[in-house]
Amino acid sequence: MTLLWIPLLTLLGVLVPALTARRGRGFCTLATVTLPAMALLLTLSQVPALLDGELPRVALSWIPSLGLDLAFRMDGLSLMFATLILGIGLLIILYAHFYLSAGEPYGRFYAYLVLFMLSMLGIVMADNLLLLWIFWELTSLSSFLLIGYWSHWTDARKGARMAMTVTGAGGLALLAGFLLLGDMVGSFDLGVVLSSADVILADPRYPVMLVLVLLGAFTKSAQFPFHFWLPHAMAAPTPVSAYLHSATMVKAGIFLMARLHPALGDSELWGWLVTLTGMTTFLYGAWFALLKTDLKAILAFSTVSHLGLVTALLGIGSPMAILAALFHILNHATFKGALFMSAGIIDHETGARELGKLGGLRRAMPITALLTTITAASMAGVPLLNGFLSKEMFFTETLDTALLGGLGWLLPVLATLGGILSVAYSLRLVHGVFFKPAKEVPPKSPHEPPRLMRAPVELLATLCVAVGLFPAALATGILDLATRAVLREPLDFHLAIWHGVNLPLVMSLAALAAGITAYGLHSNIRHFARQFAPIDARLVFEGTIQSLVARTQTLTHRLENGSLQRYMSLLLGTALLLATLGLVELPELAGDKPTQPLDAMLVLGSALMIFAALGTAITHRYRLISLLMLSVVGLVVSLTFARFSAPDLALTQLSVEVVTMILLMLALFFLPQKTPQESSASRIIRDLVLAGTLGMVVASLNYAVLTREIDSIAGFFIANSVPGGGGHNVVNVILVDFRGFDTLGEITVLALAGLAIFKLLNRLRLFMPHSDGEGRVWSPDRYPMILTTVSQALLPLALLVAAFIFLRGHNMPGGGFIAGLVTAVALILVYMARGVEWTQNRLDFPYQPVAIGGVAVATLTGLGSWLFGRPFLTSAFGHFHIPLVGDIELATAMLFDLGVYLAVVGATLMILANLGKLTTPHRPTKEAPAVSRKETPAPPSEEAPLILDTEKSQRPSKEKA
Amino acid sequence: MSTEVALPILIPLLSGVVSLLFWRQRLVQRFVAVAGTGSLLVSGLWLLSSVSEHGILVMQMGNWQAPFGISLVADLLGAIMVVMTGIIGFAVALYSLATTGRGHEAFGYFPLMHLLLAGVAGAFLTGDIFNLYVWFEVMLVASFALLILGGEKAQMEGAIKYVTLNLLSSVIFLSAVGLLYGLVGTLNMADIAQRLGQVEGNGMVDVLAVMFMVAFGIKAAAFPLFFWLPASYHTPPVAVSALFAGLLTKVGVYALFRVFTLIFNQNPDYTHEILLWGAGVTMLSGVLGATAQFEFRRILSFHIVSQIGYMILGLALFTPLAIIGGVFYIVHHIIVKTNLFLVSGFVNRLCGSYELKRLGGLYRSHPWLAVLFLIPALSLAGVPPLSGFFAKFIVIRAGIETEAYGVTFIALLVGLLTLYSMIKIWAEVFWKAPPETRKDEPEVAPIGQRELWQMYLPIVGLALCTLFIGLYGQPIYALAEASAEQLLDPTRYIEAVMGRSTGVTP
Repeated sequence: MTLLWIPLLTLLGVLVPALTARRGRGFCTLATVTLPAMALLLTLSQVPALLDGELPRVALSWIPSLGLDLAFRMDGLSLMFATLILGIGLLIILYAHFYLSAGEPYGRFYAYLVLFMLSMLGIVMADNLLLLWIFWELTSLSSFLLIGYWSHWTDARKGARMAMTVTGAGGLALLAGFLLLGDMVGSFDLGVVLSSADVILADPRYPVMLVLVLLGAFTKSAQFPFHFWLPHAMAAPTPVSAYLHSATMVKAGIFLMARLHPALGDSELWGWLVTLTGMTTFLYGAWFALLKTDLKAILAFSTVSHLGLVTALLGIGSPMAILAALFHILNHATFKGALFMSAGIIDHETGARELGKLGGLRRAMPITALLTTITAASMAGVPLLNGFLSKEMFFTETLDTALLGGLGWLLPVLATLGGILSVAYSLRLVHGVFFKPAKEVPPKSPHEPPRLMRAPVELLATLCVAVGLFPAALATGILDLATRAVLREPLDFHLAIWHGVNLPLVMSLAALAAGITAYGLHSNIRHFARQFAPIDARLVFEGTIQSLVARTQTLTHRLENGSLQRYMSLLLGTALLLATLGLVELPELAGDKPTQPLDAMLVLGSALMIFAALGTAITHRYRLISLLMLSVVGLVVSLTFARFSAPDLALTQLSVEVVTMILLMLALFFLPQKTPQESSASRIIRDLVLAGTLGMVVASLNYAVLTREIDSIAGFFIANSVPGGGGHNVVNVILVDFRGFDTLGEITVLALAGLAIFKLLNRLRLFMPHSDGEGRVWSPDRYPMILTTVSQALLPLALLVAAFIFLRGHNMPGGGFIAGLVTAVALILVYMARGVEWTQNRLDFPYQPVAIGGVAVATLTGLGSWLFGRPFLTSAFGHFHIPLVGDIELATAMLFDLGVYLAVVGATLMILANLGKLTTPHRPTKEAPAVSRKETPAPPSEEAPLILDTEKSQRPSKEKA
Repeated sequence: MSTEVALPILIPLLSGVVSLLFWRQRLVQRFVAVAGTGSLLVSGLWLLSSVSEHGILVMQMGNWQAPFGISLVADLLGAIMVVMTGIIGFAVALYSLATTGRGHEAFGYFPLMHLLLAGVAGAFLTGDIFNLYVWFEVMLVASFALLILGGEKAQMEGAIKYVTLNLLSSVIFLSAVGLLYGLVGTLNMADIAQRLGQVEGNGMVDVLAVMFMVAFGIKAAAFPLFFWLPASYHTPPVAVSALFAGLLTKVGVYALFRVFTLIFNQNPDYTHEILLWGAGVTMLSGVLGATAQFEFRRILSFHIVSQIGYMILGLALFTPLAIIGGVFYIVHHIIVKTNLFLVSGFVNRLCGSYELKRLGGLYRSHPWLAVLFLIPALSLAGVPPLSGFFAKFIVIRAGIETEAYGVTFIALLVGLLTLYSMIKIWAEVFWKAPPETRKDEPEVAPIGQRELWQMYLPIVGLALCTLFIGLYGQPIYALAEASAEQLLDPTRYIEAVMGRSTGVTP
């Protein structure tokens, strides 16, 4: 369990700075350091167990079904990295204490830093691939927050976004790789994966998986061609650069390769991919490090280069190469961490980072100069320093490998070339900053930094020298443990400064000499390099993103251009395409059922319907005619219902038709007089084809279904209507009993529609047209005498009919729905005949509560059955003998039907009366259009008629259209 | 009798009716809003616990034995969805207290919200295909009314597109139901499933399946049927957007899950292949559309589309793991997307805009809001250990296991682009320094303490849900697993609904 405390303490450490930030920076720094320091001690306390050959592990289940466990291990490799992460992390916090300026939110900074520490620890300690991946992503996230710490600065934001995108992409590739790997092995447990090399290598998916995993590693470790984000991540505060972008995070990819080497590394493909990528990166980074002038940029590219070196070693993959790789990781962390911190000190104390602006600082900052020189020398591979040792081992391995076959001599040559460049840029860095005379006066007068700010650099520089002098004593222990973890067996090795005069030594010395020469020729080199257009990775990246955005914008606009017609055609087109595909597969359209015989009525009816439907479309510019055509369709439909013995439906259809027509007329009244321009020919053809084929497809489907025998549930309804529902009218019993729940939903819809339209029309200011489309003024006779008289006489009669229909509904055609519509129509007639004001004065109540009341009555009726322990909407009925009236049947369903009735009346009137209200005298009227001026200039009507004078507008004149 | 099956429909229905009857009493409406959605959540939890204990629960409406009456059926998926409805309804109701203007309240904002929730819950619980249509209509009309409440021109334009395209979906749905009835003569989904097994010649069934796919695809906002969504979601008050974003498209997805596991499962080589392609294109088109947007809510709207693709992918792959992934994804997405919209509303309340270029500086001024944005945003992008990671992970793993490498690649790529998109919002809204205020901009009113809490509370609550699902994923996973098991074994559903022999007990 101690193992669990290492990440756990760090996790708690994330909260500490947030909690202590208010108590002063010194306190906050100390508090922040405490928990990671304890974690470091715990890590080191694992050493004895490791030396005994144990493998400390701990596992808690998280989501076992997914193979995700909270499992940690501490083998030599984890130990080495954990020490590095925690040790350098502590130094960095100390350094950051001095580096950040007073006003900056340091608490947040520390919290992110510790969060990053936690995620790195998670990566190196994870004993489960998925867990490893989770921490992997967390490093991306925390580094994103850290790079963007100075968020007001555009470079920081862009650098952060780029780093996040690139490493995020790599992370996803890695996830895919891990999933494949897990699929091959059947487990995500690291132990299982590492011991299944034979299974993995034999799997046909191995190459894909390897490429995916390597993509993850390469993006994280800034390998060519994914290196470009790293230099831009240098927009981060220097402690972050030192910690994330040299010592730890970029090593995560390398760690991963080392970690998985036992499982994946034993193949040609691995060797080729990893070595070549590493070598390319090594040279590429070194070359650009030589050309850059910004201190942090030089260090960034040199980091890229050194990461390449380690990668190449891992690619070579021999036991000694692994050893060299691990050794170089340690050495690089020490010298590069120190160099970054020195660069930060220089930046901090002088206010400049450009080589051109710096120079001669050795007088002002002698100690920093010494420290930087030592660490840079180590980077260059000068003997007696740690960097020399591992570089020497690298040279040896390039000589020994069998990779590249006949071209094997190429590797050492390239390695030496890289060595030359390293020497040159290290020299340039040191010489340019400290020894060359300054060209400009730096912004601040330079001086040594505070003692403690320099302390981390001093410690690391001392390590460089000490390890360089006594490698066997200082480094053997940890390297032994780490190599054992990677190679899965102890490696017999001996670290020494002097191996005698051999080829690697010659290579080193040659590199040193040539490097110094190269620095001498530096201006020539820069001159040569200037011929190539500089590629700013960020510009390329941003450019790619921009062009992607532009392209998607075009695409989006093409598809999603705001045109409803286009959306509808796309939508119907999709439906058509998919349905047609299915229909084509159908061997035969018609089923076994014989068709019914045709008679004259049917033929006539369908001909009429076809004619009216076509007419509706063709005459759509003459709206009233079109509407009339539409009403013909509706009427024929209701006749059809009657013909096929569904009187209830016919009645319903008829009343719905009437109400709809009134509604449409009212709406038409407000539409602009002129129809907009006719669509273009191509569009008409598109619509015609779409509508035509869709109609045919739907007709075919109907035909196919209707000619097949079915065994439907209808029989049950007919049989049970009387015994079960207490009504002879099956349709009504279905509506209020069998499927009463549907009806409840539908009346809710109706009430909602009423509400919506109430809202839509409220405060709506519509211009009332002055005349019809042909310029004829509305008839002055607003309330025709006959209509007024008739409607008044009709109202009580109609209400009586409605009541009758309602009451008999359960047994004969009728019911609440139809009754509601009849009532509504009768009331509307009064509105039309008498005007809104007159009617409103007499029917002085709002319609919303009626509609809502209807829904409430229906719902409560349904709930009533719960009182009797029955499911919702269970009905009951009985026969009652009432004196005088006689025997009568009452059913709870009738109460439900009453709800339906109320909802229908309320909602219909809410819609129609509100629409009618728009034409009351207070509404503004629109000036008559110019065309109609010639006609009788009617005085602006103070009160307008509800509907237009139908007689006149039925005759549209062709000439004017 | 299992009362709990009907309660999640009746509670919002009654809440809606009650608050409509108190049309002019603002305080009553506000009280009912919180109490009603709160009890919806409670009833949902009751239903879920009861379903996980007793298995699939059925209530025969009107006591008519299936298939003759209408059955309400709560299996695990339905119950989970009802719980989500409750969570979102409750969160949005709380948030609305602070953000809904009096003008909206006067025109029935809260009652409409209740009735919308009733429609959503009805769709999740009904076991009858025509009744599903009815609830779809309730949802459609209620959501249309909510869209036009503000009466602004953009809202009208959006609402017209919304309602037209959705009515097309209704038409297709209704035709498909009619044809299906013509083919099998029943409307109860369990009965349909039973009888379809006996219909010879799968040809007709496939055609109908595809029609349902289109109808529900429109509702779910799949490519190329999604255009109503980005046209309308950014126009209404943000609480409405949040409610829609969380629930409406998911009803379409739910319907796809229901129909394509229960009814149209005979020929997955055909139907699920279409779904698979649809899922891929939907993911891609949504996320690409989002990259081209620079308005907070429009970016989020396009991401709804791309996320829908993942859910459909889960269904299309049609393995147990994939279905688990789909269910997990739905749960995660409802919470996260609603929360993102709520945050966008908060930002708008602070800065008076949704345009990225007119926002900025909130990282410094409101660090906690920044954190509260980051949690759902990163979860949406699938960053571990948040809920979205597990959702995406399961689906992708299922994709790799079924060797559907093409769509898996798309799913990964879309994850990256989503991340990019979220970072874009983060950098613009939170990191960037606030832009110079222009003179013509109206002053943003200061936020009162109570208002602040009413806005923070739901955001924090939903963010905690995201964290909870991520860190304590096993129970959620187990639930999704159990529901996937039920979905892939329709006989259980059929037995639960059809029960004993079809006798009538009036």
